Amino acid sequence: MKADIRWLDDASVFRVGEMAAHSDHAFYADAAEADAGASSLRASLDGEWDFKWSVNSASRPADFYKEDADLTGFTKITVPGHMEIAGFDRIHYINTMYPWEGKYYRRPADVLPEHPEGVGTFADADYNPVGSYRLTFDLPEQMAGKRIAALFEGVEQAMFVWINGEFVGYAEDSFTPSEFDLTPYIRNEKNILAVEVHKRSTAAFLEDQDFFRFSGIFRSVFLIARPKLHVEDLDIRPVVLEELSTGVLNATALLTSIWDSVKDVSGIDAADGPTAVIGEPDRIRGTVLFSVYDPDGQPIFEQSVPASRKTQLSGLVLRGVKLWDHGQPQLYKLRVTLTDRMDRLTEVAESTFGFRRLVLREDNTVTLNGRRLKILGVNRHEWNAKSGRCITMDDMRTDIAIMKENNINSVRTCHYPDRMEWYALCDENGISMMAETNMETHGSWMQMGQIHASWNVPGCSFVWEKAVLDRANTMYEWFKNHPAILFWSLGNESYAGTAIAAMHRFFKEKNDGRLVHYEGVVMNREYEDEISEVESRMYATPQECAEYMEKVNKKPFMVCEYMHCMGNSLGGFYEYTDLFAKYPTYLGGYIWDYADQAIEVTDPVTGQKVMRYGGDFDDRPSDYEFSGNGIVFADRTPKPAMQEVRYLYGREAQENGGRA
Amino acid sequence: MRVIFGDVNVGTKGVTKDGQEFHYIFSYAAGGPVSLTTCGREWLYRAPRPAFWRALTDNDRGCGFHLASGVWMAADMFIRTISISEELDGERIPQEEFLSPGNNRFGGEIEAETFRITYEYQTITNPAANVSVCYTVSSDGGILVDAKYFGAPGLPELPLFGMRFVMPTAADGFTYEGLSGETYPDRKLGASEGIFEVKGMPITPYLVPQECGMHVDTKWVEVTRSSTSGNEIAGGKAASDAVTQGNDRTPFTLRIEQEGGPFAFSCLPYTPQEIESATHWEELPPVRRTVLTVCGALRGVGGINSWGADVQPEYHVSGEESLAFSFRIRPAAV
Repeated sequence: MKADIRWLDDASVFRVGEMAAHSDHAFYADAAEADAGASSLRASLDGEWDFKWSVNSASRPADFYKEDADLTGFTKITVPGHMEIAGFDRIHYINTMYPWEGKYYRRPADVLPEHPEGVGTFADADYNPVGSYRLTFDLPEQMAGKRIAALFEGVEQAMFVWINGEFVGYAEDSFTPSEFDLTPYIRNEKNILAVEVHKRSTAAFLEDQDFFRFSGIFRSVFLIARPKLHVEDLDIRPVVLEELSTGVLNATALLTSIWDSVKDVSGIDAADGPTAVIGEPDRIRGTVLFSVYDPDGQPIFEQSVPASRKTQLSGLVLRGVKLWDHGQPQLYKLRVTLTDRMDRLTEVAESTFGFRRLVLREDNTVTLNGRRLKILGVNRHEWNAKSGRCITMDDMRTDIAIMKENNINSVRTCHYPDRMEWYALCDENGISMMAETNMETHGSWMQMGQIHASWNVPGCSFVWEKAVLDRANTMYEWFKNHPAILFWSLGNESYAGTAIAAMHRFFKEKNDGRLVHYEGVVMNREYEDEISEVESRMYATPQECAEYMEKVNKKPFMVCEYMHCMGNSLGGFYEYTDLFAKYPTYLGGYIWDYADQAIEVTDPVTGQKVMRYGGDFDDRPSDYEFSGNGIVFADRTPKPAMQEVRYLYGREAQENGGRA
Repeated sequence: MRVIFGDVNVGTKGVTKDGQEFHYIFSYAAGGPVSLTTCGREWLYRAPRPAFWRALTDNDRGCGFHLASGVWMAADMFIRTISISEELDGERIPQEEFLSPGNNRFGGEIEAETFRITYEYQTITNPAANVSVCYTVSSDGGILVDAKYFGAPGLPELPLFGMRFVMPTAADGFTYEGLSGETYPDRKLGASEGIFEVKGMPITPYLVPQECGMHVDTKWVEVTRSSTSGNEIAGGKAASDAVTQGNDRTPFTLRIEQEGGPFAFSCLPYTPQEIESATHWEELPPVRRTVLTVCGALRGVGGINSWGADVQPEYHVSGEESLAFSFRIRPAAV
């Protein structure tokens, strides 16, 4: 397999050689590691990497991945981080406009007849920066002899990966993990991992979120070792019966052995998900021990079954089950212990899960565990004023604490999947989630506030449909076991067509008891029976909200974005929370948004630390201060409006037994 | 209390119940009081003016409020004084008697229980609106301020109507009884009631400088300063060497009290026009003065969106209707 720079321009190529997405369960060499939560099967590759920045593909050091490459002109960069924050490229903020507005005429491939292929759009652009990253590492001793993969948790926006001079894959989708099998080429010492990151590719059409436009390896990189028998995927299906006291647990452990490959070569058929394993199922031999622990950590069930490709735990009935709910994060744990046919322990895998019952009723009301679901939510971009979307565990813990303190019970991961730990933190803290797919194509259908969808993507294009289904699939597979997720969201502000309808079907076919959300269909109601189980609006006035619930009432109603907290705002918030009392089909909404996106710099004139926003970096075109809409400032100081949030959300939570 | 009639100013001078000296000077030339001192500490930098502007919020910009109402920003900066009238112990003094040479008849300082001076203004808007501000000084040093705005058909909506006091030096802080935090007519439900002490004059660091720091439903506010611009207080140094605001750092306080109903106020280091002209806070000048704005009517901040939605109708301030509010200024203890 050879890398091809033309993939940047080809909408049908978005993953090459990537391993199939799978659940985010933890796995360990033994039970002691599992008890300590410290896996020897995972090693961080974060730190200082060799680095070269080039303004475009033509000037990049194309042979840098070779073992004997000349690294003249290379410097260092810290991984994770954005190239722009590191000072290699210009920081740029822009909202709905594509960032090349007025610089390049671009139209997506496979949409307009006069622009069928898009050849050269990105690969030949004179400005499309490239980061050439190189790391030399020794394989940790305990990983030797195992299947080895490189896991990139977030790379913006397209990357090619080589190990020891051999090409192993290509990935787009900046905000979901990308994993590459290194096994055939790995050695014990002096491995050379080379990653070529391109700022833009066809993925740029799908990633037109209202945010700073960054590039680079901005989330952590890990080396992953898979023991000879390994839980590749864990699909946990907890169900709560209508009487709310009995839980039924089903789970499937998808096992792989050293004889298997989980690579896919030419783009995944999303519906197949993690079953895209190439190999011989009869090589899976050994024993699987399922152990279930209650929320107090007490073992409540054990069952040992012979290992098979899809080993099942079936129909375990739990009486008096403890329910996961807002502010009541009751989490069970499933541990899967694998032993080979010689009865040797090979792996201990585990994942938390929760029982909760989400019901969309005939009358368009929605209940969670038998009570009315009230979304007292906020949209959250990942943000740190110093490092952009490269955030720390402390940042996340701070955000959770602020949300809890202010009676926020739900978060929308606008408009991309977040760092993996965020989902577990929401589980553990009883904050529900609307998990959103990495997609926004705002500039492809709305210009200057008017709808002109002549070149909308993904629209009704089968080519783009594959790309967005892959994004949906990757998010689903990684995060499916998180009880906090109540809604799968198809993306943000991307209009509506057959491609998004296919995403909707994809999630519904999973039949996992969650609801599917998408707001953009209200811009093209032709698809409203096929897309979104809720009527979701942005910035509808309280009067418009009431009008839908009174006169139309076709679906439960929510405002996935409301109360635009730009600057000094949040006036009249009570007019929305008052809707709860009047309309049983009102689900609530997500405030726009959690934190100002601004960047802290040293003011050259005063020497003070100050906040900068779009346009302050000579970045043009820009939407200037439009990214500053938080209920907290970029440094997490609450805005004065926060006391209003705390009071009004708190009042609604109280009326719902404190658990709204 | 004694009233001192001059040719350009009229002064009132006395001692409060607490034994504090007060001395106020109302100017005919400046269109308002130019000096309010208690125990020799000056509270006015320039004559207070009716206030019509607060800096725009992002939501105001989004809905084009400035395009409809921007004239009030200029009206806030420039205003025409059209007449001045006076009353001594409830008796009107004809203008020809309090201005020179008619004032010769007083022959010296006059004892009085109350002195009232009313400034009539006309805004530079088209059409013009009349505004009157009446100061009634009692013998205990208290000043009742009655401010009236006479709306006129065709005038655009106001961001606020109030009185603005610019003080010569920066405040150390202020204490008020009212609602916690920064509040607006449409964003105050989450606030708690109480007495709150604020250190300094914090601005709210919204990315782009804009209206901030308002406190609605206030019963009283006390502004405390400990610096002055008086060079003699610097301790006998030559004026060229004196660091004014120097040696005597004894705090002194001015109190504003509600009269007839609560008021809104902000106590900031900048005028709305200064805030309006900056795109980042650090562009604003070093903090030198105190800008206290006391409001009788105030527009909400809104929140539905920042690109067109106006503040909800009940939180607008019409320019066509008349407005009136009152408050008291009380010199407080040094």
